[in-house]
Amino acid sequence: MTMVPAIGRELSNPPSDGISNLRFSNSSDHLLVSSWDKSVRLYDANADLLRGEFKHGGAVLDCCFHDDSSGFSVCADYKVRRIDFNAGKEDVLGTHDKPVRCVEYSYAAGQVITGSWDKTIKCWDPRGASGMERTQIGTYQQPERVNSLSLVGNRLVVATAGRHVNIYDLRNMSQPEQRRESSLKYQTRCVRCYPNGSGYALSSVEGRVSMEFFDLSEAAQAKKYAFKCHRKSEDGRDIVYPVNAIAFHPIYGTFASGGCDGFVNIWDGNNKKRLYQYSKYPTSIAALSFSRDGGLLAIASSYTFEEGDKPHEPDTIFVRSVNEIEVKPKPKVSRLVCGIVATVVAQRRL
Amino acid sequence: MGKKKKRATEKVWCYYCDREFDDEKILVQHQKAKHFKCHVCHKKLSTASGMVIHVLQVHKENVTKVPNAKTGRDSTDIEIYGMQGIPPDVLAAHYGEEEEEPPAKAAKVEIPSTPLGGVVPRPYGMVYPPQQMPGVVRPMYYPGATMRPPGPVWPMPPPRPQQWYPQNPAASVPPAAHLGYRPQPLFPVQNMGMTLPTSAPVVQPSPMPGVTPPGIPSSSPAMPVPQPLFPVVNNSIPSQASPFSTPLPVGGAQQPSHADALGSVNAYPPNNSIPGGTNSHSYASGPNTSGPSIGPPPVIANKAPSNQPNEVYLVWDDEAMSMEERRMSLPKYKVHDETSQMNSINAAIDRRISESRLAGRMAF
Repeated sequence: MTMVPAIGRELSNPPSDGISNLRFSNSSDHLLVSSWDKSVRLYDANADLLRGEFKHGGAVLDCCFHDDSSGFSVCADYKVRRIDFNAGKEDVLGTHDKPVRCVEYSYAAGQVITGSWDKTIKCWDPRGASGMERTQIGTYQQPERVNSLSLVGNRLVVATAGRHVNIYDLRNMSQPEQRRESSLKYQTRCVRCYPNGSGYALSSVEGRVSMEFFDLSEAAQAKKYAFKCHRKSEDGRDIVYPVNAIAFHPIYGTFASGGCDGFVNIWDGNNKKRLYQYSKYPTSIAALSFSRDGGLLAIASSYTFEEGDKPHEPDTIFVRSVNEIEVKPKPKVSRLVCGIVATVVAQRRL
Repeated sequence: MGKKKKRATEKVWCYYCDREFDDEKILVQHQKAKHFKCHVCHKKLSTASGMVIHVLQVHKENVTKVPNAKTGRDSTDIEIYGMQGIPPDVLAAHYGEEEEEPPAKAAKVEIPSTPLGGVVPRPYGMVYPPQQMPGVVRPMYYPGATMRPPGPVWPMPPPRPQQWYPQNPAASVPPAAHLGYRPQPLFPVQNMGMTLPTSAPVVQPSPMPGVTPPGIPSSSPAMPVPQPLFPVVNNSIPSQASPFSTPLPVGGAQQPSHADALGSVNAYPPNNSIPGGTNSHSYASGPNTSGPSIGPPPVIANKAPSNQPNEVYLVWDDEAMSMEERRMSLPKYKVHDETSQMNSINAAIDRRISESRLAGRMAF
């Protein structure tokens, strides 16, 4: 590949309909992509190769890796499936009563967790033989339809409709560790835990992201804040876009956010700064994922139907190399030093 | 149409150095990089006066001339942003010259703008209508695509119209600047009760008492009742339309029929018009909002009195359903029940057919 455009390299053979999510593997640069075209695709992002495609009975709303040779997918046909990439086979791990919206695999607990519009989350044992009786570990009622899930260590954060947020300890699922309400006043779009396990970022449809902490002490809660993003000011009015995706850089802890405005921003949550903004993508950003070493960022530029069914740019997956300066945190100290240096220099000149 | 003569080419140009550009966005970037940049720390400000103040406060130095400006154009007193604020005589002189020698000017123009165009990455999908002279009255409606009128549009807060003028020089430049892009449609349309964008609008102009384009923003709301363009959510309009002059009821009446044509906020039927109401809390913010330096860099850093809250338009305003749930309701994504029912029905039919065949009742 010679010239790589600024927005990244386009992957060949993208899905034929919207992309619901994409994930990099923890052990390689394989990318798993779930789509509204009812398929789950496995790509080798570096080689730009489609390694596998699995068709399901309905739009696939989420997917995740188990390890490099297998993964899980959840579908609008209510089923949770387990896919063996090498054997090219899949089977049904279990079902919900409504479309399943999210899936995560917890390495800590060795369980698959799924969230559905049937207002429950379910935990599954991925090693069990096919058939719910063997595989389902538990089902936990949620106040509302589940919109997003995220895991870190032993913690699970569930975001539902109605702005509810339940925080669970995977070791004791009998009841949520914390029951919260989103700090944002609008519908939750996405929730992602910080890699360091101290909290989570939550985004809404109102161009805002809030940074939250698990620790309920005053000191920790004082650090929480929210900021506006993915908005455009035009002709005296603000156009506010949903923030569809958040992805944390595995090493630096900074994160990328993607919105319906087609922009990807990189933020330093600790220093409350925006580090970078990538050039605008052809259409809404549906999903983001950093590779395991943070060297690549996969961006799903795929219209998310925020304005109904209308003609839109083709759904594309971009993979771009990440530059350190784009994602490295910039502590405030350096600015102070600059200021001091400048003053000293100025004084010397006088 | 416009009373002023329309130029052959619609190029924008920099007051300070006379360079021409393809669109105002590039022009603004050029000005920020060349004329409003602090020579000490290279911080880009948004206006000349802003830069002067910065250098004074931060570096304790007095700046008297705009850097990289032609003599006679380097005064720091004149407030320029993009194409806004250019004194009329200079404006006329520029175009007067251009008319005299179009070919020569055109040839010269190409060179400076290209490198800039090459260097400055164009925003990916950004579409800005060709820049026109502020003097030209733009078509009332805006080719559908980008107009998003109905749904949650906010009443314009009363003080606004009056503030336009005084603000113009310093603060409201950004809206004004953007107004350069498509000012008219938005304002007049709003006055119309918003539906317009697509069709009817062209008819409407008449009720718009002399909406003069430039600096318009002020005049349009200065219509009969200076106010509140009430939110154009279908149902609410009629009641609130009464205080207004005739156009609105017309607009109000047209609302329902236009709603679909416009494809309003979401293309999906019912539900959506109402949620406009929920948005009344659009200014509400979470407990701890707006951390210090985050957010897309404001268009104008020095926008002083930005006390009037901007209207807020939510691209997704349905609190009840998520985008995926809405999308799932589309026929093409229907799964499950119907298909399995159909399958079982088909299976039953097939069974009947094979039974009848066996019984010799059917011809084949």
